[in-house]
Amino acid sequence: MESVLSLNAISKSYGKIKALNNVSYNVPKGSVFGILGPNGSGKTTMLGIVLNALQADTGSFSWFGMPGSPATRKRIGSLLETPNFYHYLSAVDNLKITQAISQRGNEEDIHKALEIVKLTERKNTRFSTYSLGMKQRLAIGAALLGNPEVIVFDEPTNGLDPVGILEIRELIKELAQQGKTIIMASHLLDEVEKVCTHVAIMKRGTLLTAGAVDEVLSNEDIVEISAANMDKMVEIFTNYTGVTHIKKQESNNTIQLFLKLGEANLEAVNKHCFDNGIVLNHLVLKKKSLETKFFELTNN
Amino acid sequence: MLALIKIEWLKIKKYPAFWWMLGIVALTYPGINLMFYRIFLQITTRKDMTGAVAKSLLGNPFAFPETWHSVGYFSSFFVMIPAILVIMIITNEYQYKTHRQNVIDGWSKEQFITSKILDVAIITIVASIMYLLTAAGYGFTVQDDNKANWMEEIKYIPLFLLQTFAQLTIAFLLGFLIKKAFIALGIFIFYFLIIENIATGLLKNVVKTSVGRFLPLEISDKLIPVPKFLGKIDEASYNQNLAEVNEHIVYTILLTAGIWWLCYFVYRKRDL
Repeated sequence: MESVLSLNAISKSYGKIKALNNVSYNVPKGSVFGILGPNGSGKTTMLGIVLNALQADTGSFSWFGMPGSPATRKRIGSLLETPNFYHYLSAVDNLKITQAISQRGNEEDIHKALEIVKLTERKNTRFSTYSLGMKQRLAIGAALLGNPEVIVFDEPTNGLDPVGILEIRELIKELAQQGKTIIMASHLLDEVEKVCTHVAIMKRGTLLTAGAVDEVLSNEDIVEISAANMDKMVEIFTNYTGVTHIKKQESNNTIQLFLKLGEANLEAVNKHCFDNGIVLNHLVLKKKSLETKFFELTNN
Repeated sequence: MLALIKIEWLKIKKYPAFWWMLGIVALTYPGINLMFYRIFLQITTRKDMTGAVAKSLLGNPFAFPETWHSVGYFSSFFVMIPAILVIMIITNEYQYKTHRQNVIDGWSKEQFITSKILDVAIITIVASIMYLLTAAGYGFTVQDDNKANWMEEIKYIPLFLLQTFAQLTIAFLLGFLIKKAFIALGIFIFYFLIIENIATGLLKNVVKTSVGRFLPLEISDKLIPVPKFLGKIDEASYNQNLAEVNEHIVYTILLTAGIWWLCYFVYRKRDL
């Protein structure tokens, strides 16, 4: 698949702190690419590097198969870290500057962008009078200005209320349907899981895993079962073929059987229980949640 | 280049400090000159002989062509007003992180610094227009019959432009390196008003060396020496200052070019 962005062994240090350590991956065209990681994992540093705000110590990157340059950046709508605007100017005047520098869109597009992020009513008031959520909306509007083919969002839902978060999530889905490539850094797992097609997980500057969401998440099958006699259940599955490990969940009185990908057979599990005198009251094949995977990877 | 000017104008035209600067310059340039003009009038309109002697010796410093020189000299005392604006313009970019956004949106780092050179140039031109109007205003209104020679000393117009640009460049450098408006402003004003004057005086009168003329602001201060009527106090020194102007044009251009080169160099290497 054609790559929009390719990172090749990017490293960056701040003194003794290694902010990025040999990070490489590709962002496929048309994907919604989520970059996940706890605070300080290097997500923003990495986006800063590919947007030329920061300089990598070693490594290289390319956009659309070309080295990063002002011309490639003009094709990318970006919100990096915080909404950065002239406080004494209105939303319209600020977007005029964005438009003039990026050469994306025209006067009409400025109003369209403001309409998408629901700032039309306040378009002529100074940026300094905006609430945190409105500032964030304007930054999203600036990134959308002129319909760029790639959009970079660094924590796009920061400062937004629940309705705003939902709207942005829907907007990202809509943009993805239009064939745009969206690169989104977030520490909100739920947000990434709901909208992303691809994911990269980072921890302390190191890339732990990257790929399509299904591939990253589904390297195991999880069968969740429940019955009256929990201890007996654990006992009969200890040596069951294919089970790699068993997790007892006291909170909801269930146990989880972890099997190699594709080896879970619910019918066989049910029969095994029945043959051993156990009647199940709960049997379900579960997909590993991004949250589980994330903690599994980042807690190691 | 035109595109950069248009973008900078979008940033400046609705910046209240720009219009405040313009208003204050519009008041202070004629104001300081009016003060010196009144002192001159007080001396030369005395009823006794000293008035007539002073007038014949000094000439009218606010009549053509000397007005270009005198008004340029007195107006340059107030370079700190546009300097405040220059420092605010660059430190605002850091405070709002808009310099970073400009690059992310598609400017090269070099374009950002070029845009700031244009800001300093625009402010220099505005200040110089104020100087020009003030000097011409005095030239045309003070009582003097000789208005035909108005063009004689107009070399002070480009000298004022160069001096203002050079000194605002130093103010820019402070804002650019220090990033914090109040610290940069404090250092600039303290250095401009106190440090350099003391250092120049000490070097000249105590150490007995002319090295003081190479201090950063003094290099371009020397482009417009004291006006002719004040020069009469120490004519030898006045003539020497006049003789050194061409040399200082070269030094000023070299220093200013060096500062902008440093800005390009630092900004290219710097994380935003």
